Amino acid sequence: MIQRLHVTLLDVEGALQRLLGTAERRGFHVLQLRAEVGAGAVCTVMLTLEGTRDAELLRRQLERLHEVREVSLAAG
Amino acid sequence: MADTGAIQSTVRSGAQWLVAALEAEGIDTLFGYPGGAIMPVYDALVDSKLRHILVRHEQGAALAADGYARVSGRIGVCLATSGPGATNLLTGIANAYLDSVPMLAITGQVASGLMGTDAFQEVDIFGMSLPVVKHSFIVRRAEDVAATVHQACAIARSGRPGPVLIDLPKDIALARAAARATQPHPARVPLAPNAAALAAAHALLTHSERPLLYVGGGVGMARAEAALRAFAATTGIPSVCTLKGLGAIDPDAPGHLGMLGMHGSPAANHAVQSCDLLLVVGARFDDRATGKLDTFAPGARVVHIDVDAAEIGKLRSAQIALAGSMPLALAALAQPLPIAPWRKHCAALRALYANRYDAPGTDIYAPALLRDLSLAAGDQAIVSCDVGQHQMWVAQHWHIHSPHAHLTSGGLGAMGYGLPAALGAQLAQPGSCVICVTGDGSIMMNIQELATARRYGIPVKIVLLDNACLGMVRQWQELFFEERYSEVDLSDNPDFVALAQAFGIEAFGIDTRAQVSGAIRRLLDARGPILCHVRIDPRANVWPLVPPGKSNGEMMDSAA
Ligand SMILES: Cc1ncc(C[n+]2csc(CCOP(=O)(O)OP(=O)(O)O)c2C)c(N)n1
Ligand SMILES: [Mg+2]
Repeated sequence: MIQRLHVTLLDVEGALQRLLGTAERRGFHVLQLRAEVGAGAVCTVMLTLEGTRDAELLRRQLERLHEVREVSLAAG
Repeated sequence: MADTGAIQSTVRSGAQWLVAALEAEGIDTLFGYPGGAIMPVYDALVDSKLRHILVRHEQGAALAADGYARVSGRIGVCLATSGPGATNLLTGIANAYLDSVPMLAITGQVASGLMGTDAFQEVDIFGMSLPVVKHSFIVRRAEDVAATVHQACAIARSGRPGPVLIDLPKDIALARAAARATQPHPARVPLAPNAAALAAAHALLTHSERPLLYVGGGVGMARAEAALRAFAATTGIPSVCTLKGLGAIDPDAPGHLGMLGMHGSPAANHAVQSCDLLLVVGARFDDRATGKLDTFAPGARVVHIDVDAAEIGKLRSAQIALAGSMPLALAALAQPLPIAPWRKHCAALRALYANRYDAPGTDIYAPALLRDLSLAAGDQAIVSCDVGQHQMWVAQHWHIHSPHAHLTSGGLGAMGYGLPAALGAQLAQPGSCVICVTGDGSIMMNIQELATARRYGIPVKIVLLDNACLGMVRQWQELFFEERYSEVDLSDNPDFVALAQAFGIEAFGIDTRAQVSGAIRRLLDARGPILCHVRIDPRANVWPLVPPGKSNGEMMDSAA
């Protein structure tokens, strides 16, 4: 199943490593990644993932990362 | 960043800022080991009131900090140099992560300009530890050091606690910077769970005929034992607990059925299999607790209370998710329930499967020794154990009255945990009776910490259950690998009594049942650190047992 995630996070040291590492360790394969640092050191990330596990659970696992501000899920 | 604003800025080195911030956090004890990259911090410690405990291996520092944190409820702090010092901390950091223990790990790092050049003693500890920390920092400016410490401490103890790493490059530790003194962040209190979910949980409870509490380590971490006990008393709901939940409910409470899972009590496992509502409190459906997951509590709906929303529905979906404050959720749901027949059924299970201690023979029967020692040591005693059969015997037979009095490496299952954790616990509570129950395999993983016990006169009581083998692995080879024993023999163990004595620790050995009561008295009367070497039958197994991959309803109680 392909999942698309939209993530807003603070652009602090290790933020992307932590995000991608969490997605991969929790059983998802990263197919596409687009990240951009904008105003106020806020980074927006579009992630396309493939995996059989519950993406809503991954959303909550990402949300508890300290630098993550918001994660939303769009199937497809 | 919390800062007072009004206070004048001061000039200090990064290392001095670090020490000042730790002091401001109310931290009084650090466990560590010096080396090149962390030397500026050790220099700053000379002028500080912080008590530094010099362990003999950095893994011991992290595990002692873990024991200190579990007993005190405060952050445990460990300190190491870059490279090998930092990698040696990792097992202890992972242990704190998997058991949700608030910890601050501080590592020295090579100077900023050398980072990324494969410099002497450079490892990317920030990267290596990413999967096992709650959060981590590399400090890039000396003026940020204090604020980073306060932020790290706030993260480590908020919500679901966990370890936070601060990597401090040497040049930043040496650089002098003007900054204003910062202050600890105020504690963040978890929010009350959603009102609609509470109402729905209430309705499920009211309609349940066979509700059961499944209690985990989250209760102790949230310091919610009193709320849980009040809830159990008001509702009358029977309970089972996980390895880490032991002590959250009074073991003598009539509705408590003990530990569930692989080495749990049959009473607990049978109750889980027949309940119609599972009220999960701070537990996470670990595979050691659930057995074959899709046959676990097959007839139950699930109400899951946890401070960490990401735990809910991870392995078993919950009809009702109550994320947030555990005490508030429990208080909101407490009401007397008409479940007398179910309570009677559970009381009968408890009586039917009560532990027995009448094993035949004159060999020392470890379960009976542990039960007798725990009763003699009293409700306030703290037990710290290692990993293996002896750990499961402690869980089954020790009378554990508080989750903070049972230190066990639950999530990571790290051999070597017991002794350093006991040292940390004893330093957190100097007046307490702290007993380390270890095995002949496990103690050798951090045997060097006997020197720490000796140096600081830390009066831990070590009970070494010596079966001359890696007993738990041997048991699995016997039962599940057709008795093909592979690399589990430790019959050439050192003379542990002589070894302890060489470290300057009082030690003695016993090998018959008749010697047990005298040994218990000698252990409890000792004023300094003491080790009792207990020879037990190498063939002894832990019973009962749910075979791997089987349902909790299919427990074995012998090899036959
Ligand atoms: C660091 C580490 N290495 C290996 C293991 C695997 N393991 C689990 S229990 C065990 C045997 C422990 O032996 P001992 O301490 O003598 O305890 P016993 O089971 O004999 O009581 C082993 C090797 C582990 N849990 N931790
Ligand atoms: Mg052994």
